[in-house]
Amino acid sequence: MNDTLIQDSIKVAGQAIAKTTQTGQPINWWMWVAITELGFIAFLILKEKLKPKDTAKQRFKNESLKQDIDFNNIINSSFNSTQLYDELKVKCHPDRFPTDKEKNTIAENIFQEISKNKNNIKRLLDLKEEATQKLSINF
Amino acid sequence: MLDNTWNDILDWFFDRSERANLVRSFNESARNAFVSGVAPTLLKASISKGESSYKHQFSNWLNTGFRIQAFTGRILTKDELIHIGKVILDDSILVRRLIVLGWDTLEIHGDAGTYGCRWQLKDYIPLPKFNENE
Repeated sequence: MNDTLIQDSIKVAGQAIAKTTQTGQPINWWMWVAITELGFIAFLILKEKLKPKDTAKQRFKNESLKQDIDFNNIINSSFNSTQLYDELKVKCHPDRFPTDKEKNTIAENIFQEISKNKNNIKRLLDLKEEATQKLSINF
Repeated sequence: MLDNTWNDILDWFFDRSERANLVRSFNESARNAFVSGVAPTLLKASISKGESSYKHQFSNWLNTGFRIQAFTGRILTKDELIHIGKVILDDSILVRRLIVLGWDTLEIHGDAGTYGCRWQLKDYIPLPKFNENE
């Protein structure tokens, strides 16, 4: 029914425009107001109808696109993380602190973090700093 | 039906632009790292055909491979190629982004020929099961 109404309105508007141009009559402002109104209503209907759906899949996608990616860290880690990991895993090993119980626990935590982040150079550098401060290791 | 089609068209253009942005950002970082001496080899990301058996619910119809190629500089060994792959796969944010943008295969290639390694992206992140009729 809406389609017929739209088609009829366009037809009438077309006829009115043709008539105005043929006879050289002054512009029919009411006709233009009607056309604008029709356009506005059509816009509101379509805007509501074409709204993106808020599905779980869409939400998952939007959440993933919000997070920032540190490409510099990825490229740097691709070439330099192995060396740093090898150095850290030796120097921060808990077995290096057999007598000092407190340092041994700290070293154990740091060592676990090092193993978890062995491909992330940014995190490894943070852990190196932590180890220097807490375990007094000279790199 | 009209709203679905319209939203699919919009999504397609949006994804395409996001994919291009991601590849461009990667290439820019790789170029800067190579120029500044941080990386001994120039890496270049591109979109490839991918492996059709690795498909998942976000996969595109065509070109589902994210390929990284070692271009100039030192020739990388297979272990180094695998390490680059592991660094990428360890970054859960990047893997998630690759998956939602329609990639399903990660390929790391050397400079010459088709020598390289390939991973299935969906193995590295738990993907929830979505109800398509929701």
